[in-house]
Amino acid sequence: MGKESYLGEFEQVLLLTIMRLNDEAYGVRIMSEVEERIGRRVSRGSVYVTLDRLEDKGWITSESAPAGSGRGGRPRRIVRVTPEGVDALRKSREALLTLWDGLEHALGG
Amino acid sequence: MSTPQPPRLAVRLLERILPPTDRGAAILGDLHEEFEARAAHDVRAARRWYAVEAVGIGLRYAKQSRRYRRGAVGLGDRNHNRGSWEGTVDAFFMNVRYAVRRLTKSPMFTLVAVLSLGLGIGANTAMFSLVNAAIIRDMGFAEPDRLVDVYEGSTGFSHGTLSYPDYLDFVEGTEDVFEAVAVSRFAVVQGDADDGVETFFGAGVTGAYFDILGIEAARGRLLGEEDDVAPGAHPVVVLSHGHWVNRFAADPDIVGQEVRLSGRPYTIVGVTPEGFGGNLRGFEPAVYVSTMMVDELMGSSSSLESRGMQSYFGVARLKDGVTMAEAEGVADRMTATLRERHPRQWTPDKSFVLVKTDDVIMNPMIDRFVVPAAGMIMGVVGLVLLIACANLASFLLARAADRRKEIAVRLAMGAKRRTLIGQLMTETVILAGLGGALGIVIATQALTMLVNADLPLPFPITLDLSLDQTVLTFSILVSVGAGVLFGLAPALQSTNPDVAPTLRDETAGGGRARGAMLRNMLVVGQVAVSVVLLVGAGLFLRSLDASRQLDAGFGEAPTAMVQIVNPGSRYTDEEAVLYQRELRDRVAELPGVLEVGLIDNIHLDQLNTQSVRLQVDGIDPPAGQDFLSLDYAEIDENFLSSVDIPLLEGRNVTSMDAADTEDVALVNEEFVRRYFPDGGAVDRVVRVNDDPVRIVGVTADHKVRTLGETPRAFMYLAHQQSPSGGMWLTAKTAGDAERLVLDMIAEARALDPEIMVFQAKTMRRHLAVMLLGRELGAMVVGGFALLALLLASIGLYGVVSYAVARRAKEVGIRLSLGADNGSVIRMLTGSGMKLVAIGGIVGLLLAAAVAQLLSRLLYGVPPLDVTTFVAVPVVLGVVAFLASWVPARRVTRIDPVGALRAE
Repeated sequence: MGKESYLGEFEQVLLLTIMRLNDEAYGVRIMSEVEERIGRRVSRGSVYVTLDRLEDKGWITSESAPAGSGRGGRPRRIVRVTPEGVDALRKSREALLTLWDGLEHALGG
Repeated sequence: MSTPQPPRLAVRLLERILPPTDRGAAILGDLHEEFEARAAHDVRAARRWYAVEAVGIGLRYAKQSRRYRRGAVGLGDRNHNRGSWEGTVDAFFMNVRYAVRRLTKSPMFTLVAVLSLGLGIGANTAMFSLVNAAIIRDMGFAEPDRLVDVYEGSTGFSHGTLSYPDYLDFVEGTEDVFEAVAVSRFAVVQGDADDGVETFFGAGVTGAYFDILGIEAARGRLLGEEDDVAPGAHPVVVLSHGHWVNRFAADPDIVGQEVRLSGRPYTIVGVTPEGFGGNLRGFEPAVYVSTMMVDELMGSSSSLESRGMQSYFGVARLKDGVTMAEAEGVADRMTATLRERHPRQWTPDKSFVLVKTDDVIMNPMIDRFVVPAAGMIMGVVGLVLLIACANLASFLLARAADRRKEIAVRLAMGAKRRTLIGQLMTETVILAGLGGALGIVIATQALTMLVNADLPLPFPITLDLSLDQTVLTFSILVSVGAGVLFGLAPALQSTNPDVAPTLRDETAGGGRARGAMLRNMLVVGQVAVSVVLLVGAGLFLRSLDASRQLDAGFGEAPTAMVQIVNPGSRYTDEEAVLYQRELRDRVAELPGVLEVGLIDNIHLDQLNTQSVRLQVDGIDPPAGQDFLSLDYAEIDENFLSSVDIPLLEGRNVTSMDAADTEDVALVNEEFVRRYFPDGGAVDRVVRVNDDPVRIVGVTADHKVRTLGETPRAFMYLAHQQSPSGGMWLTAKTAGDAERLVLDMIAEARALDPEIMVFQAKTMRRHLAVMLLGRELGAMVVGGFALLALLLASIGLYGVVSYAVARRAKEVGIRLSLGADNGSVIRMLTGSGMKLVAIGGIVGLLLAAAVAQLLSRLLYGVPPLDVTTFVAVPVVLGVVAFLASWVPARRVTRIDPVGALRAE
């Protein structure tokens, strides 16, 4: 069970990106996807640390996929969003939409 | 085919920091994947990128994971078996952050600490830089242990310079023991720049010079045997590295360019390497020319032929397998040979002297002053740093005392003492680091100021004062040393394993914690050292004052002095005299000029002494010689009045005393006292250099060689009767002497555009040279003494402040029992002054001892000078009183009830 039910902003970004990548979400790909999608350069260290945190909170799972060639023979850590994670995302989104309700005009034309 | 690999060190590092699970492996794998992608384009860039990323991840992981370990419980597959490396990194960062926070919380303390350290370390670094450049620095020679300095020693000048003919004879006679012998000499060179003539100082060297020293050209070539053949036939010049950079903007095409020196075009054939500055410490030539060219450059005529002109510094390289003893034996034989061949110049007291180059700092005659002087300077700045460190130790003790409960608890709970000391020392290390950095900045500024200061030196001392590796290493060592010094004691003290008393809080009733005792001792020490420095400064100031009272006996009025040198190859003796007199008359026409005179060798010129062989009927010369040695100068009829030397008896020289009339001379009072004790020197004839000379007048005494000398006998000859290639014009003026100097130079050039102006200054500056040493001594020591006093006062202030705070309870009791503020203040001030009294007494005793050591440097002041030894305690007392009384007054702000309740 997750201890905290509110998602941090970066956590959201990562979770959403992982979902977009379906079953191919691992460090390198997550970072390049975020950069491509929203033009945001993320630091490697914060990505890995946040992934650890997400896993500790039970919102993603990971498994080791043995490497093919390259990577110095080291495995990949493929991550997936858990149902709890999806749940947390949904809650976050709802909260945001509620707060945004009536303020659309602030978004400008 | 080998695949490119990421840098192994970075991989190892990450393997230790990252968790040893699949997670960690995956991160490494990710990095490797990206590395491979980049390495496909540029392997080196990829490796660089990898290293940077590795560091970034490593730091981030170390920081982040710590947060988890402290708070969370049961965290997934977190593996607690982390590498020890990570633990150390953790601890280090934590310590640093904590220490920085503590330091920023007490900004005043941090500021004072860094400033004190910065000043102390900066002073040490600057002084060491001087000492390094002047004494220690490697001269850059090849195999210096085979090099030998060659001197001519005689009475009064144990290690003097050689004459050129003597050098030639020496080379011939010592072929068996030396690979080669070379000489060098000062050469004043006038370079023609676009906007006028510029004088700079170079060295004339013989062919083997650079070979012997093992120096190779950085550009082009250096001077060699082919440039050492015939006088005037080698218009080539080698630039020093510094000159090439400063004057020629390090032009890469410098070789082959031409430059005009003393009116003749010279070809630049090369540049010496950086780090080579000639073979004389303290004098780094700007350029090197052949000795064959020096006469032409300097307008002299016989520097290569005259056995009496001793201007050459000799250096030689021993042949392989030859010992110093053998070489000295050969040199002794040469001495005997020359005594036989040239008995007039090679008197029995003269001989060749050999000294290993490694054993010489500047010159054996002055080394015995240079080294103690350097030692003294380093001692002084060392003391100042010590005081700064004592201050900091004192403050740190106070701060540590505030934390003693916390420390005691942690110790009791099993924290290792070593760990705690490490934490406490982190603050210290940061302070020392900041202080060291500031110190280097201060040192650089101070040295820059020194180099640009216009000191009235007798000759240009050029030193490379940039902060080289040696100096920086020294600075770092000093910073570290200071940090340990003032950090360790408090750290050790406050982590004393005997924690029970602290835990039980046995500090009720104002008892002294052990820290106070140590702090008090520190203050006593600081006061003692301050006293020593103050006494030293006082003695120097008094010595300086006494020196200033000394009367040179001439040149009181504003006077401009210009030394001109006639190019020997262009003027005959008669023409030279005509030029000099013509110029003199022209200068006399300038506005404001009162009198203009001529003299060939101005008094009190330490580098130039000249003497004649004197024989007086009825006076026996010293044993072993058949003549007396007498200082002399050649003057015209106006000289005496231009420098205000009174004529006491007889007549002056006149323009009628010419080459075809009887040789005449003036003598001074001391001469008369010594050689004509019954009086009546006027009209008597004496023999000067074997020729008869009639004494026609007696002048007043004046200083000849140094301000502090006992009276010396002196003789003036008529310059028309023994012309000299170079003369000083001394022009007394009612106006501005500095301005006049420039005007005189202009007149000299107007009369002859190719004339060489050798030196030009005011009389005041000339005389100031004599006082320079004492002035510097007084300024330096005085400055540091004040600094020391300031630091000691700060220390004292801190101690008393702290005592006030600590004894708040006791004070509260006293106040509530009816004691008035005044008596409490007196009590606290009194305890502070007690420390000062103890320190002062210790300091005075130490100072008395140190003063004895300094006595050689003092003039006109006894080492145990009463005035100084009384004034210093008075000054100290006043300052100390203020430093104790001001914080003691703060007791009036203590609320007695609050103080009693506290704790």
